[in-house]
Amino acid sequence: MSPPAPDSASDTEARPILPVRVVEAAGRFVLGWVGGLRGAVEEVGRAGVVAFWGVANVFLPPLRVRLTIQQMEFIGVQSLPIILLTSAFTGAVFTLQSHRAFAMFGAQAMVGGTVGVALTRELGPTLTGLLVAGRAGSAIAAELGTMRVTEQIDALDAMAVDPLNYLVKPRVLAAVLVMPMLTAIFDFVGIVGSYVIGIYLMHLSRPEFLVRLGDWVDWDDIYSGLLKAVVFGFIVGVVSCYKGFYTTGGARGVGQATTSAVVVSSVAILVSNFFIAWAIP
Amino acid sequence: MSTGERPDVDPVTGHPAAIVYQDVWKAFGPHQILRGLDLVVPRGRVTVIIGRSGTGKSVTIKHVMGLLRPDKGRIWVGDDELTAMSDRELRRVRLRFGIVFQQAALFDSMDVFDNIAFPLREHERLKEAQVRERVMALIAQVGLRGSERKVPSELSGGMRKRAGLARALVRSPEFLLYDEPTTGLDPILTAAMDKLIADTDAAHPDLTSLVISHDMHAVLSIAHKIVMLNEGVVVHEGTPDYFTSSDDPLIRQFLAGSLDGPMKV
Repeated sequence: MSPPAPDSASDTEARPILPVRVVEAAGRFVLGWVGGLRGAVEEVGRAGVVAFWGVANVFLPPLRVRLTIQQMEFIGVQSLPIILLTSAFTGAVFTLQSHRAFAMFGAQAMVGGTVGVALTRELGPTLTGLLVAGRAGSAIAAELGTMRVTEQIDALDAMAVDPLNYLVKPRVLAAVLVMPMLTAIFDFVGIVGSYVIGIYLMHLSRPEFLVRLGDWVDWDDIYSGLLKAVVFGFIVGVVSCYKGFYTTGGARGVGQATTSAVVVSSVAILVSNFFIAWAIP
Repeated sequence: MSTGERPDVDPVTGHPAAIVYQDVWKAFGPHQILRGLDLVVPRGRVTVIIGRSGTGKSVTIKHVMGLLRPDKGRIWVGDDELTAMSDRELRRVRLRFGIVFQQAALFDSMDVFDNIAFPLREHERLKEAQVRERVMALIAQVGLRGSERKVPSELSGGMRKRAGLARALVRSPEFLLYDEPTTGLDPILTAAMDKLIADTDAAHPDLTSLVISHDMHAVLSIAHKIVMLNEGVVVHEGTPDYFTSSDDPLIRQFLAGSLDGPMKV
């Protein structure tokens, strides 16, 4: 049986005239834009609440010392293998590449100092932040997201336990405390990796490598790197907790929260790194 | 009741009012869930809320713990009016409650013992021996002896719900809320859970229970008062006898689980 012929008269009546369609399209565009803006403002507001209470709760009882130590073990100790591996190879590769570049000017002696400054000021804190975001931040977002969709966070609320105090505070605090330690380890192992490659593979002069390293890397470089690490730890802790805490939509939502936590943390680390580097010459 | 004073007595059971909802409205975005809910929960009795999915039963139960705040209307728990309270004050009220969640909501990272002990360790200054004594007594009461060191992923659905009930009871609450306690259980486990609820009520005469359930067999056996919600308001309330003898087409359709009747799918 053939389909009925369309009623051309009623079709013409149902379709608005062009100016009306233009106004409708403009209205939809503005509403969509306003809705998007509102959503963004709400998201920033909720993240601000998590950040504020994450900090304010540090001074409010109960202190959650045991939970904080557990989180330090998870974020810090369990991240050590990947930090050690990455830092050793980063120092080694950076030494190889800078040796090739400096060799063009006969300035191979600068390798040790250059690698030292780059690691302590930039590579150490930034790569450590990115690694922690990828390993621990994703796990935090997934854990809290799962707790949200399985009503475990509601259960805490129902038992008169503040979920921000119980779940967010220990994680943010632990991330802030362990990031400088991991960064210091990254810096040290990276320099050792650079030393091994520079001295034993590139056959650089040992005294020159060490003297340049000592002359060029001063305490301000190390302090600024550690300060960045504190900021990056705060970013990873707050973003991961926020993304997990406000997860919606079941298993798919948990996956999205996890991905989003890593992406937002990583971008925030790279952007804030620029501003800190700008502010601290 | 919407515009009058707060009732002191439940008109169905004649018992003093423990929880009162007065003209409570709640919407989520464009979806209006509660539309002027009036409800009295009698003290020391088991009140069961029935109704189709999406009629506002879980929303009703979350309001009484302050997990949700109404857009309009008032809610009293005893003499405390929740709608006028700060978050800190609401937390104090929540200490008077225990809740059994639909999926138990046990903490994945803890075993059964630590899940049940959690409220005690958070809110009471007890020695670990006292915690152990109280938790083990409850574990025995809900039939989980030997499973105290299992984590939630090692438990069946029925065991999880029994552990959830033990956690809800561990601080001897004044009010006990059950959010669909038998959902997802087979008929045998459902009967066991119903018996556990009835036994819990018998063992704690002062306990005020508010249950959401679709299991009509259990509803008729455990309830002192049944409240039927439809589209965000109470459409019927009464004793189990009132419901079983009613000719109202809405009640008949719901009790029979029939597609024919005023409620359309």
